[in-house]
Amino acid sequence: MSKTRIKFDELVTDLVKAKGLEFSVGRIIKEWEEEPGPTPMPDIGTFREWDHKLLTKYKPFYLPWCDLCCLCTFGKCDLSKGKRGACGLDMKAQLSRFVLLSCSIGAATHCGHARHMVEELIAKFGRDHPLDVGGENVYLEAPNIRLVTGIKPRTLADLEDVLDYCETEIVHLLSSCHTGQEGDNIDFESKVFHAGMIDHVSMEVADIAQISTYGFPKADPDAPLIEVGMGCIDKSKPVILVIGHNVPPAVEIADYMRNHGLEDSIEVCGICCTAIDLTRYSQKAKIVGPISFQLRFVRSGFADVIVVDEQCIRTDIVVEAQKVHAPLISTHYKNFQGLQDRTGDSVDDIVRDLVEGRVPGVAILDSEKAGEVAVRVATAIAPKRKKFKIVPEESAVIEEAKKCRKCYACVRVCPNTLPIPEALEEASKGNLQPLSELYESCVGCGRCEQEGICPAQIHPHTLIVGASKRRIAEEKHKMRAGRGAIQDVEIRRVGQPIVMGEIPGVVAFVGCANYPGTWKEVPIMASEFTKRRYIVCTTGCAAMSIGMYKDENGQSPYEAYPGAFEAGGLINCGSCVSNPHISGAAIKIASIFAKRKLRSNYEEIADYIHNRVGAVGVAWGAYSQKASSIASGFWRLGIPVIVGPHGSKYRRMLLGRKDDKEAWYVIDARTGKSAYAGPVPEHLFIAAETMEEAMVLIPKLCMRASDTTKGRAIKLNHYIDLHRRFFGELPDDVHLFVRTIADIPVTMKDEVMALLKEKGWEENENPNPDPTLLPRLVRAKSEG
Amino acid sequence: MKSGMFGDIPVDVGVVYEGERIRKGEMHAELGGPDIKHKFELFRVKSPDKVEDGKIKVVGPEFKDMQEGSKLPFAIIVEASGKDLEEEMEGVFERRLHYFTNWVEGFMHLNQRNTIWCRVSKKSVQRGLTLEHLGKVIARLYHSECPIIEKVQVTFYTDPAEVEKLYSEALKIYDARDARARGLKDEDVDVFYGCTLCQSFAPTHVCVITPQRYANCGAIGWFDGRAAAKVDPKGPIYEVKIGECIDPLKGEWTGANESVKEKSLGEVKKVWLYTAFGYPHTSCGCFEAIAFYIPEVDGLGIVHRDFKGPAINGVPFSTMADSTAGGRQVDGFHGLSFEYMRSPKFLQADGGWYRIVWIPKEAKERVKDFIPPDVVDKIPTEEDVKSVEELKEFLKAHGHPIVEPSEHLKKLGVKGLKGVEAEVAATAEEAAPPTEVVTAPTITMPVSGVPGGMEFEIILKNAKIFAEKLIVRRIEKRKGGKE
Repeated sequence: MSKTRIKFDELVTDLVKAKGLEFSVGRIIKEWEEEPGPTPMPDIGTFREWDHKLLTKYKPFYLPWCDLCCLCTFGKCDLSKGKRGACGLDMKAQLSRFVLLSCSIGAATHCGHARHMVEELIAKFGRDHPLDVGGENVYLEAPNIRLVTGIKPRTLADLEDVLDYCETEIVHLLSSCHTGQEGDNIDFESKVFHAGMIDHVSMEVADIAQISTYGFPKADPDAPLIEVGMGCIDKSKPVILVIGHNVPPAVEIADYMRNHGLEDSIEVCGICCTAIDLTRYSQKAKIVGPISFQLRFVRSGFADVIVVDEQCIRTDIVVEAQKVHAPLISTHYKNFQGLQDRTGDSVDDIVRDLVEGRVPGVAILDSEKAGEVAVRVATAIAPKRKKFKIVPEESAVIEEAKKCRKCYACVRVCPNTLPIPEALEEASKGNLQPLSELYESCVGCGRCEQEGICPAQIHPHTLIVGASKRRIAEEKHKMRAGRGAIQDVEIRRVGQPIVMGEIPGVVAFVGCANYPGTWKEVPIMASEFTKRRYIVCTTGCAAMSIGMYKDENGQSPYEAYPGAFEAGGLINCGSCVSNPHISGAAIKIASIFAKRKLRSNYEEIADYIHNRVGAVGVAWGAYSQKASSIASGFWRLGIPVIVGPHGSKYRRMLLGRKDDKEAWYVIDARTGKSAYAGPVPEHLFIAAETMEEAMVLIPKLCMRASDTTKGRAIKLNHYIDLHRRFFGELPDDVHLFVRTIADIPVTMKDEVMALLKEKGWEENENPNPDPTLLPRLVRAKSEG
Repeated sequence: MKSGMFGDIPVDVGVVYEGERIRKGEMHAELGGPDIKHKFELFRVKSPDKVEDGKIKVVGPEFKDMQEGSKLPFAIIVEASGKDLEEEMEGVFERRLHYFTNWVEGFMHLNQRNTIWCRVSKKSVQRGLTLEHLGKVIARLYHSECPIIEKVQVTFYTDPAEVEKLYSEALKIYDARDARARGLKDEDVDVFYGCTLCQSFAPTHVCVITPQRYANCGAIGWFDGRAAAKVDPKGPIYEVKIGECIDPLKGEWTGANESVKEKSLGEVKKVWLYTAFGYPHTSCGCFEAIAFYIPEVDGLGIVHRDFKGPAINGVPFSTMADSTAGGRQVDGFHGLSFEYMRSPKFLQADGGWYRIVWIPKEAKERVKDFIPPDVVDKIPTEEDVKSVEELKEFLKAHGHPIVEPSEHLKKLGVKGLKGVEAEVAATAEEAAPPTEVVTAPTITMPVSGVPGGMEFEIILKNAKIFAEKLIVRRIEKRKGGKE
């Protein structure tokens, strides 16, 4: 609610006589019926005890990426072989400090994004604009915000209070990384969890704000199908490309086109989350692809104007845009790219300078103005540019390939060690097939083309794209637009099948496109688990990769599976900032089924989720600092995350030791006695080397201490089945997950019983405790 | 060579195939289904001498002998024996057939009883799958999952004449089974069943399942409970000795009270099974519908989970659900299943269907046959009324029993719509003058260090008071606690 001011010239009461009394209120906060919980606006130390409980169970396992610390001028300090740096820090603490730094950057990025967005939306829609993420089917509209801060946001302005809190926390987290502050690795790790928790709150702010103002789908299982893939882009029209994560400038482009009747004469497409969020606004917009498509699409010359906002934009975008004579418009102060700030100039002047090529690009920090400029420049420049491109024709690819001397310099810099020389050799003979196959596993970083790498001046990335023209033309796919939140009623509906063991778990495919091999591994995994009747959620680049796949019937997974939060559903929540809808669904389960209080009651809810909600995240191509902070937000809730092999470069894993029986005791809240629950979930953060390994880990990490026997039986069934399929035998740890005979999958009874016998298995005397890690939740049996 | 309990079956067997759909193009043959009149499946309990364990018989053509793309009549008869098996559990075990057959790779099974619709895939038939294999899988799974089944044999009929011959007999068996199930009353049994499956998510919730009250989730009835408790006596579904009946109308039994108290660790001390007031049955989170009290008309509304938009009281399902979930007893908000709405004891202490004054159209259609004919057309849906005022008019115009309650309803303490209106009128008169009274909020200023009784005044000159935040908290009067 907006500010209130009352002024009395003269006030006389029995108690008070006042002259010129002025009473003003900064903000009026409406309370609501839910009692505040114990931890409103927790600081970086509040959940230390909870974090330490998790970190005792899941001990950090460090993977030094570099032995040196060079953060201050004491250094460089060698931290190898147990040495400490000049400041006293050892390797473990240094690595956890680095993880904290990374997660703080990630959280700050989302928080900064949210702040920028909320300010812009308040200016456009007003402070009192109501928040609405799903109408009447969503009672718990902001689970992360309510859980952490204790605020129930009703209007855009309410989100400012949430951001004030997040910003304070991020400042403290970042300052903890300064030399001579925190020194213990476990305490660093606890702060990492804090950064993740703050990140989910910040992302929730951003997504709630944009859903409520821009009319995005509101928790809609039937959100429209939109087009994705380079082959969808109609290059006969002027094409505007948007890249980044902050959608307001792209929305202004769409609005300008709509208001000027240009919707059908100009093509607007995007890369990364701006693209996802734009298609939540306008179904005419198209998605080019994930982050890995930037270089190849810009160089294809399809785009006549490139508009960038923030995050995950190639920092050489000015250079790349210039190569194809496409003017660049930067719309964000975090990302000037060396361009002149023309926000104050007239639209006519800016358009003229860009169309005539007087400047490579401009910065315009006013979304509306940027939108108009982009549309007008695209219209005027498209006929002149004639889709100028730098991707060679097939004949030129063959000629270039002949220059390769097989020195393998390109392979050494390639993050995926792609067999480029072999493919070039084939290409030189006229067979472009192997080169074009590399297209699927290329992350599009362009390192192979950097100055001084190839002695023969070959541009492998460019040749890969050149050899893949037919493949690119066929990239026409369908993706369900980001639906936002999960409805409360959807969660109620799945309660019974989860308890009865019909739904084995919730799997979230999230993160970036830094895949270790072909991008198809993500849709293959997602399809496998939807077929197995898991609830499969997705966001961001992973959601795009899933859409770019066709099954044997020529359908995209979004066409083949329903968009509802149900067994076998495939739910695209939206962009990166939509991830809190996934953590939010887990949070809501605690409120909806057990009526646990959400409001500022983080520890209890995390304990509930960790012990009961069989959810696991998979970030197969996680590359960014944001991805690491998103993961850490899941960790604090006790939800395990699996990453692809590149994820080990995050420098540490959180691994459980299944052989250490002592680590796996919970408290039975019914009796207060400790109960052995088995190694569930076994890890909190683990890198899988291959897709097959990940697919076996997923059902395993969905197991929880509170599983009913029916639930455990089906989880084990999927675990054993996938293990047998990929590795040809029963996993040798099944006995650790069977608590009682009723846990054994009925179709596998004989083999499992034989294994149990071999392992000397004994039935657990208390197979179904009411599990908790928090002694205060023990319910003393009340008498009378 | 495959190993394990299905090593001799040429296709895979596992729950992963449960959701498998076989499209027309992939189909070798369709068995039963909408185009075929004669089809059914039956589970029969027999005496041990009538069952040859593991025997599989196929009467009619095998898969490989069926013409590709053909549709055939189909029957599955499973005969089993066991000393703890009872004829009344037949329906429960019969429903396992759906899962067992679906778990076979390349075999699809939809629906149940005489509506079954099965398909077998070309791929699986090419790999050598036969009906005999299917029978082996079924028999082994019955043994594996239900140890109380001691012997089991399976017969398939694909010969049209044979299926037709048995069809009418099967229908008679279904009818008799339904009549028995519907006819079974709480008074006829000495045990109820309790279910704590939902405690994995709602640790204080306990369901009591009686012949006349399904579990809230709609998935477990008394017969299911009986079978489950026999199959796994230590499992989460267990017997509840009913003990003494304290109140047959409200549905209070000493045994149910003790069991609920024990399993909820004393959180819930007694439970009235057939009312939404006082000590109603608790709700976990997955109930299918809510009965909610509408004070203006002294009636109950029903809103189901799939109803979009606000109910007649202006509150959507999701909000009301939040008020009743989590294993608590909430007066006037009651989570329930559709199956319970079909029970003759449905909210009997509150007046049953005669007390229901609003229900969404879709929900009404589902239970229409179980609403007494003299009230069914008097209960409006969202299409008839949009507000409580309109609701009152509708009820009056259609002579709904809540308007002027019958003697039966009066005995249950129902005031009725007219009763409520009379009370409101009386209260309004008492509170004359009828203008709205606004109470000014009082600000108390505790001043420390001031001796008692001493008068003082505070003078403020050009004071500027700035409050960074002003928190407005509604003070709710607490309802009286339960005993």
